[in-house]
Amino acid sequence: MSKSFIPSRSLLSSFSRSLKYDKPTQQCLRLRSINASCLHARAPAPKSFSTSSARTYKTVEEQRSRYKSGPFSYRAASSSSPPARLIFYFRYEKARMERLRIAEATKGVGRPKVGGPFELVDQEGRRFTDEDMRGRYALVYFGFSHCPDICPEELDKMAVMIDLVNGEGEGEGKKGEKKGLLPLFITCDPARDTPAVLKEYLKEFHAGIVGLTGSWDQVKDVCKKYRVYFSTPQGVKKGEDYLVDHSIYFYLMDPEGDFVEAIGRQHSPEQAAKIIGGHVGDWRGK
Amino acid sequence: MGFFSSTATSSPPPPKISSDGAPIAPDRTQRAKCWEGRDAYFRCLDKNGIIDSIGQKDKAEKECAGEARGFEGNCASSWVTYFKKRRVMEHQKAQTLEKLRTEGAQEMPGQVARGGPGQKP
Repeated sequence: MSKSFIPSRSLLSSFSRSLKYDKPTQQCLRLRSINASCLHARAPAPKSFSTSSARTYKTVEEQRSRYKSGPFSYRAASSSSPPARLIFYFRYEKARMERLRIAEATKGVGRPKVGGPFELVDQEGRRFTDEDMRGRYALVYFGFSHCPDICPEELDKMAVMIDLVNGEGEGEGKKGEKKGLLPLFITCDPARDTPAVLKEYLKEFHAGIVGLTGSWDQVKDVCKKYRVYFSTPQGVKKGEDYLVDHSIYFYLMDPEGDFVEAIGRQHSPEQAAKIIGGHVGDWRGK
Repeated sequence: MGFFSSTATSSPPPPKISSDGAPIAPDRTQRAKCWEGRDAYFRCLDKNGIIDSIGQKDKAEKECAGEARGFEGNCASSWVTYFKKRRVMEHQKAQTLEKLRTEGAQEMPGQVARGGPGQKP
């Protein structure tokens, strides 16, 4: 071995590595849907690996292969470190595995959890929960029907995205079938956006969009879970004219209901469709 | 402007009520009409050098009364206020950028970040 470990230095390096690893781990998790899971699908490590010098990783494969051999090798640890170091190493390994296990369970480690259980009604008055989102990608947009200009623009964009994504994928999901991308419109204005109002409103954009509403508390709850800021006044009188200030993002959720990516106003429908299509394709390839 | 007769009200007709008793939002046609009214009104404000039609209410009313009726007659009052405020905000934003440019401010890398980090203008 060309690399020698001085005990104190090895401890130091394992510390710095553990710091260094935090980020690649997250990156790897973020890339999880692009590449298969970090835990199970490691690339085979190159044989000559242990002799290569430490450097930053250029690819995920490289990072993974380095990951496999750990911060330092058993041989180096046992030959040049006192038992205390070894105990530290095992503790470190245990913690790392625990971190990975948690990351695997929630997938969103290092990122705020977006999404979660909710219960609302769709534009036909049927109950709709997060369970109904499972099994396909969902594109979630928050808005309100009395929105002056931004929501209609964004919904027109959404309609193009839906056709681009679902049109490409074997022509499925065009008429709100249980396949392809599921577009959801969740109102931030439950007082005015009743199921019938949403039905009237959304049919002008795309037949496939599912419009969701509920009680003020239910909407507040789902907005909170999706980290959507909104300012709907509570307890407005009938016929009162007001606007709702809200965040403008499309949330892409994977078939397991986990947040994948936010698509903002800067993305054209074509760019957005490309992003979504990429994720959908990765999932199919799993 | 003969857009509306002198008896025209300056608010759109009340919205239709949905089957479950809530006012239906303006549809695509109504929105387009509202935006047209807004654009015509803003063109008039531009011609008369008015940015803030709320702050310069008297002048705006004098110069663009006809257009104002076309605007307010086709948009809900909350929309009218929103568009008027947004006009001011967008003007301020453009001015700030212009001011920075004339002061010789350098475009920050953030502006060109999409082209890649470390890019030089």
